[in-house]
Amino acid sequence: MKSAVVLACLFPFVAPAQIALYVMNGSTATPAGAALDLGRIAVGDSVSVRLRIKNIGTSVANISRFAADGVGFTTDRLSVPFPIAPGSAQDVLLSFRGSAPAVYSANVQINSQINNISVIAIATVVNGPSLTVFPVCTGSDGPPPAIDFGRVQAGQLRLCNFYLQNTSAQPMTIATFQVNGSAFRQSSGPKAPFTMAPGETTAFVIDFTPSTAGLYSGVLAIETRTFALSGTAFDSPLPKPLLEFDSGPMQSAQQRRLTMRLPAAAPATASGFVNLAFTPDTTLVTDDPAVVFLATGTRTLPFSVTQGSTQISISGQASAMFQTGTSSGRIRFTLTGVSTDGDPTTTLTIPAALLSFDTMTATRRAGNLDIQVTGFDNTYAAGAMVFTFFDTSGQTLQPGAILADFTQAFRAFFTTTKAGSAFQVRVSFPVTGDTSGIAGVEMKLSNGAGTTTAHLTFK
Amino acid sequence: MKHALLLLIAMCAWSQSGIETPSIGMVADSLGSLRAVQGVAGNFLLGPPMATGVLSAACSELLCLAKTDSKILSPTGQTSAPPGPAIFGLDRDIAVIFFPQSQSFARWRDNILESLDWTSDDEVLSIRSGNNRLEIASRRDWAGLTNGPVLLLKEDVLFATADELVLRHPDASESRFELTGAESITSMGPHYAAIRAGDLTFALRLDPGHEQLFLLPASIP
Repeated sequence: MKSAVVLACLFPFVAPAQIALYVMNGSTATPAGAALDLGRIAVGDSVSVRLRIKNIGTSVANISRFAADGVGFTTDRLSVPFPIAPGSAQDVLLSFRGSAPAVYSANVQINSQINNISVIAIATVVNGPSLTVFPVCTGSDGPPPAIDFGRVQAGQLRLCNFYLQNTSAQPMTIATFQVNGSAFRQSSGPKAPFTMAPGETTAFVIDFTPSTAGLYSGVLAIETRTFALSGTAFDSPLPKPLLEFDSGPMQSAQQRRLTMRLPAAAPATASGFVNLAFTPDTTLVTDDPAVVFLATGTRTLPFSVTQGSTQISISGQASAMFQTGTSSGRIRFTLTGVSTDGDPTTTLTIPAALLSFDTMTATRRAGNLDIQVTGFDNTYAAGAMVFTFFDTSGQTLQPGAILADFTQAFRAFFTTTKAGSAFQVRVSFPVTGDTSGIAGVEMKLSNGAGTTTAHLTFK
Repeated sequence: MKHALLLLIAMCAWSQSGIETPSIGMVADSLGSLRAVQGVAGNFLLGPPMATGVLSAACSELLCLAKTDSKILSPTGQTSAPPGPAIFGLDRDIAVIFFPQSQSFARWRDNILESLDWTSDDEVLSIRSGNNRLEIASRRDWAGLTNGPVLLLKEDVLFATADELVLRHPDASESRFELTGAESITSMGPHYAAIRAGDLTFALRLDPGHEQLFLLPASIP
């Protein structure tokens, strides 16, 4: 029986084998030998190797057994049986973790109806140094052994302090002590090789100095142990941008100009988005769609500033025009996608105003007097109207002031259109008799801010 | 009670509610989509595309016409037309149209296009039609004032220099508005002219005493 085992180990691939086993290193496949050495690892750490089972024959191989029989060894294998078509492969991760110093082995077996493969996997577990991570970094000795340097402003330095300790009862030789990774560097501490006495502790420091914003990774290799290093860098915050507007009181139905600048030079080139949002005072509608940046008809524009400059370019221009809409409320400007030294959010208040008229006409038709008004009511409370007609001598015509309340009609219009408060209303007065003597009309139109009076002459 | 007796007051039956969103006119955007413009001065809303591939458009108080490469579109239909853009001279519900690509004139009425036996040996800039008269602005006539676009209005004339819009009134008085790079001027509606400058479209309010230049919101495709 002993000789049979030796033969199997010496000739794991017996012609005409259909399945073959490879050890993967990235995308490189190396045929597995009789033994697979996973190397030396520290107590408590884990090691993994990816294995590839490939069907190099011309018929389907049915894998009836895949196992790594040995203490501490595990696989993420599929449940058996499973087929592998000719030319196809199946990858499996073989992992090992040991809890005490010793040499561990496992018999990795792959059986199919055509041929079987048996490989001895070996791992040597030793006492490794123990690592203590001090704030501000986070992480631990493991598992998994990983250290996070956190978020750091690009160009700035973050130091992390560590203690390395030999927790075993024997002297420990540290032949490897190395930091890899573009932004990571050991700035103080021992240089390999060195020996640590039982229980001895030594301090060291790793610098994290990212040059630009992004995600960084590296490796701290100490003898048998490997610690993953990570950190994130962000751009320097801009001095709090100042959002400024052309002069004059803010009102509805205006086209205004937004400019942005920095109180001090930008420490780095930066870009982001300036956004506006509108909250109406009324509860009748939830928004006013006319409140937009005119250059795009949207509520977001990109902006950028170059290092050393205080001028912020909005969508490639020195300023951006926007509409204030036809609703009283608040226009809120925010910046996103950029780090700023303080919240630059700026809110403009659009006050409630009397009804505003764009055009007004009064015309006579046969049997009717028509009054047409185009305007807006930024309080969304229009409706109450009083009309008084005059003759050519300025005398009030009977029946005097005519009251009308179109409040419900206006409310229905505003809530249906959801297009702001701009309106065009035509009021017709059926009349009998000669209308030529009716010269004009006085209109009193009320909304939530008061009453507006207008005088019209009939054409 | 010498004058008429005011009997009652009622909302007009124009629309169901009697109230509607104010219409300003139509404009062909920089992508060639025809869009309705609504709102009031300083507060404009562009509607969704009503037609695409529009090369020219113009509106009067009663009529809007648009020109695609091969058709003239109206609110009530469409008719075949010579290729390329068009210059419209609108008069209430009829129009005299010049087609620069074919150097031909036609009269449009009720979706029927009638060729006119007219010719022009110069670049036609604008047509004013109405009151039994027709006036054509040609490049040669305006060479001393501008090399840019010209629009003959009902009474006034609007033209662009390299860095200004000039609204000239019948009494020769002028209103000037700073604007660089105007490429075209069209009649957007009875109260506004649309001025294209690059990707931007401006709206000039023409009402006497209220003349003001605005920027139209860019349209979202």
